[in-house]
Amino acid sequence: MSNKFCVSLTCSKNDTDKATVAFVVANAAVGSEKDTMVFLSVEGVHLALKGYADDIHEEGFSPLKDLIAGFSEAGGKIFVCSPCFKKRGLDESNIIPGATVVGGAKLVEFLSDNSPSICY
Amino acid sequence: MKAQLYWDAGALGCGELILELKKRISGLDSGEVIEVRAEDTGAIEDLPAWANLTNNKLVKADHPHYFFQKK
Repeated sequence: MSNKFCVSLTCSKNDTDKATVAFVVANAAVGSEKDTMVFLSVEGVHLALKGYADDIHEEGFSPLKDLIAGFSEAGGKIFVCSPCFKKRGLDESNIIPGATVVGGAKLVEFLSDNSPSICY
Repeated sequence: MKAQLYWDAGALGCGELILELKKRISGLDSGEVIEVRAEDTGAIEDLPAWANLTNNKLVKADHPHYFFQKK
C-alpha cells in the first residue's frame, strides 16, 4: 500500500462544492497518516492566494479556509501549478503557508511513488 | 471499557472527523484509549478504515461509540 495520496483540484469559486470536498478528502488522507499532497491547477490555483478562500463556506462543511489551514497544519502539502498561476497573472509573494509553486516534474515525481490520485 | 479521553465529535464526518481524531489521539500515550462518539453514519465504515490505515486498534465499536487504543 502506498503511503502517498494526491488530491488534484481544478476548481475554486467556479465550483465551491468541489473545492470544499477536495480538501475534506485531503484531510481524511493526512489524518490517516498519508503523505498527502493537494495539486492545485487551472482555476484551483486561486485557492493558493491569501484571503481568496475566506468567503467560501459550503453548507454542511467547515469553512474552506479552515479546511485548508487544518490540512497544512497537519503536514499536508499544497503544490500549485506554475504555468496556471502565471497565466492568470497571480502574485507569487501572496501565497498561503504550506503552498509551493511547482512545475509538472514535481507532480510527476510525487505520483511516481505509486501514489493514488483523486481528481475534482 | 475505561478510556483516558472522551471526545464527542457530534455530527462531524469524513475528513473533518478523521483529522480531529488524529489530533486528539496524538495527545495520548501508547496503549491509552480514546472513546469517540460520532453520529455521522459514514463513521461506521470510516473509523474502522482509519484504524486499519494508522494501526491504532479499534477495540470496540457500537455506533455511535468507538474505542481506539493508541498504537
